[in-house]
Amino acid sequence: MSKTVTLAHGAGGRQTSELIHEVFAAHFANPLFTADDAAVLEVEAGRLAMSTDGFIVSPYEFPGGNVGKLSICGTVNDLSCMGAEPLYLTCAFVIEEGFPMDKLEEIAAAMEKTAAEAGVRIVAGDTKVAGKGQVDGVFITTTGIGRIREGVRTGGALAKPGDAVIVTGDVGRHGCTILLARNEYGIEADVDSDCAPLWGAVDSVLTASEDVHVIRDATRGGVGTVLYEIAEQSNVGVRIDAEAVPVDGAVKGVCGMLGLEPLYLACEGRLVIIAPAQEAEKIVEVLKKGKYTAGAAVIGEITEEMPGKVVMTTEIGAETLLPQPGGELLPRIC
Amino acid sequence: MEENKKKTAREIISSYDGPKLRIMEVCGTHTHEIFRLGVRNILPENIELISGPGCPVCVTPVGFIDEAVYLAEKCGCTITTFGDLIRVPGSEKSLAGARSEGAKVVPVYTPTDACRYAADHPEEEVVFLAVGFETTTPSACMAVRMAAEQGIENFSILTANKTMTNAYRALKGSADAFLYPGHVNAITGADSCAKLADEGIYGVVAGFTAKEILTALAVTIVRLQEGKPFFVNCYPRVVTDEGSIPGQRMMQEVMEPCDSEWRGLGVIPQSGLRLREEYAAYDARKKYDLPEIKGRPNPACRCGDVLQGKCTPADCKVFGKGCTPLHPIGACMVSNEGTCAAWYAYRKESIDE
Repeated sequence: MSKTVTLAHGAGGRQTSELIHEVFAAHFANPLFTADDAAVLEVEAGRLAMSTDGFIVSPYEFPGGNVGKLSICGTVNDLSCMGAEPLYLTCAFVIEEGFPMDKLEEIAAAMEKTAAEAGVRIVAGDTKVAGKGQVDGVFITTTGIGRIREGVRTGGALAKPGDAVIVTGDVGRHGCTILLARNEYGIEADVDSDCAPLWGAVDSVLTASEDVHVIRDATRGGVGTVLYEIAEQSNVGVRIDAEAVPVDGAVKGVCGMLGLEPLYLACEGRLVIIAPAQEAEKIVEVLKKGKYTAGAAVIGEITEEMPGKVVMTTEIGAETLLPQPGGELLPRIC
Repeated sequence: MEENKKKTAREIISSYDGPKLRIMEVCGTHTHEIFRLGVRNILPENIELISGPGCPVCVTPVGFIDEAVYLAEKCGCTITTFGDLIRVPGSEKSLAGARSEGAKVVPVYTPTDACRYAADHPEEEVVFLAVGFETTTPSACMAVRMAAEQGIENFSILTANKTMTNAYRALKGSADAFLYPGHVNAITGADSCAKLADEGIYGVVAGFTAKEILTALAVTIVRLQEGKPFFVNCYPRVVTDEGSIPGQRMMQEVMEPCDSEWRGLGVIPQSGLRLREEYAAYDARKKYDLPEIKGRPNPACRCGDVLQGKCTPADCKVFGKGCTPLHPIGACMVSNEGTCAAWYAYRKESIDE
């Protein structure tokens, strides 16, 4: 097979089938992976969750993962947040002409590995090749279906005053990794992405506690944006303790230099979990035993006061508003 | 004062009940940290913290933006600049406005990046907007030296570089004491501010962590109560008496002092830097024979008064209404270190809503 992806690979002929067989089918092989127009699935009766997400990260590979791993984690985590066990995924690729074939293999391999770990099956796919410059490397869209655990009901509008706010690990790692990987700032730091599939973590939390109100994955916009969304959806206030928010030392250092707030940097393997205060301890305990959630911590509480706002108790014990999300991320200039 | 020795910095600050004190911080990073930490929320009523002219974007006058727009539109130059400046309103338009009408404006992270951009784009005439204090100026000088050494002829800089010492003199009556900007003093040295005590200008060099800021504030309060001239370096782990000799040398070799206009403060004698005659080829004003451009600030905007502590952002009629971080009218609303932007993001009113 050729060393790079060409327009012929997207033309539907022999090269297309070669690409599908040697790269995608080879990695995604499972009894349900369809050779027909659509996958046919048997699903038990019950409530289903369905989600779709596009992944266009630049650069497409970064410390801690690549766009392939990200595309599986993103949709798996979206389903998981609804208390749904991820079952099936489809994926659609738009590949830039000239994209290295070995890199495509690596991306497919990462998808296979992550899907296997998450217990989800890739059942259908699509491949398009776009002319040079029409896309940046490779864009992947994944769509997933999951079965919601019996009796589970989570949602952003369900936070109640008195609930505890939990994060499942240190914040801002993915956003920081991507900033550094773009190499625009001339800063080097030892940071890798937190990108991880989190169904296992959610499953263990839902097993440990029957009373979980909100589960959200803090992706674009970070934990800060998620907290503002929940405050608005549930019409409650959120109070967080700045010192309780876990932030990796290197991430803190980079943010200090660039004037960024770690709470607003993207995560790809972190959940915000909101549950009654009396449930918090056992939830954190079970999370601490998890592969990707050992850094879990209670960072604050839901309040009746100041609905729609996130208030922070700072290092000096003063109270201040967490600035609202929005605007561009501008680096500090002096 | 003896009893103060047993108190923590926070206790000294919170329990102060003497005559009214006005303390001015003159560093954008201090402004931002003071807001982020909520320092104002632990101050007693008789201590006022004023955010002075410490953010390079904020003090840059409207006319400078007009000059940059002129270079982009009339001279066809590619403007390279720190991102913040792109959205600062000029008399008629910001650089963002000029860009939307076809001007070429490229954000860079360092002056040497701008010089490299010029080297990579020999068909373009590249101008870098050199704003900033002693912290940023050495790197602008480095870019000019790099252009001179490598024969990069399509690169020049539009200077608005500022130095702090004469600004303190101009601001003498605006505050009882300054929190001196630790990063600037890391370059200029503690001595540059220590000498000011003889002229009745007092202050404390402050670091940037929560502890360092509270300590510096507490020391300022205690020393003001003593009522004697004072200067204290509370950031000795970074700031030495003489500062960074290589940084100072770099500035002296490439630039020389000049009078400079500060937004809101007017022209302060010998408070700016311009390129020396031997680097005239890299001075955009000379290279493009720039006419004198007088900026016309929006009359509703009170950034100038805010920078001198004459009013708070909330006293400005357009604050939070016409003027927001997404649609700034004044420069102080643009950078996240600007007083108005910080005030807007952390404003107490929204806590009390």
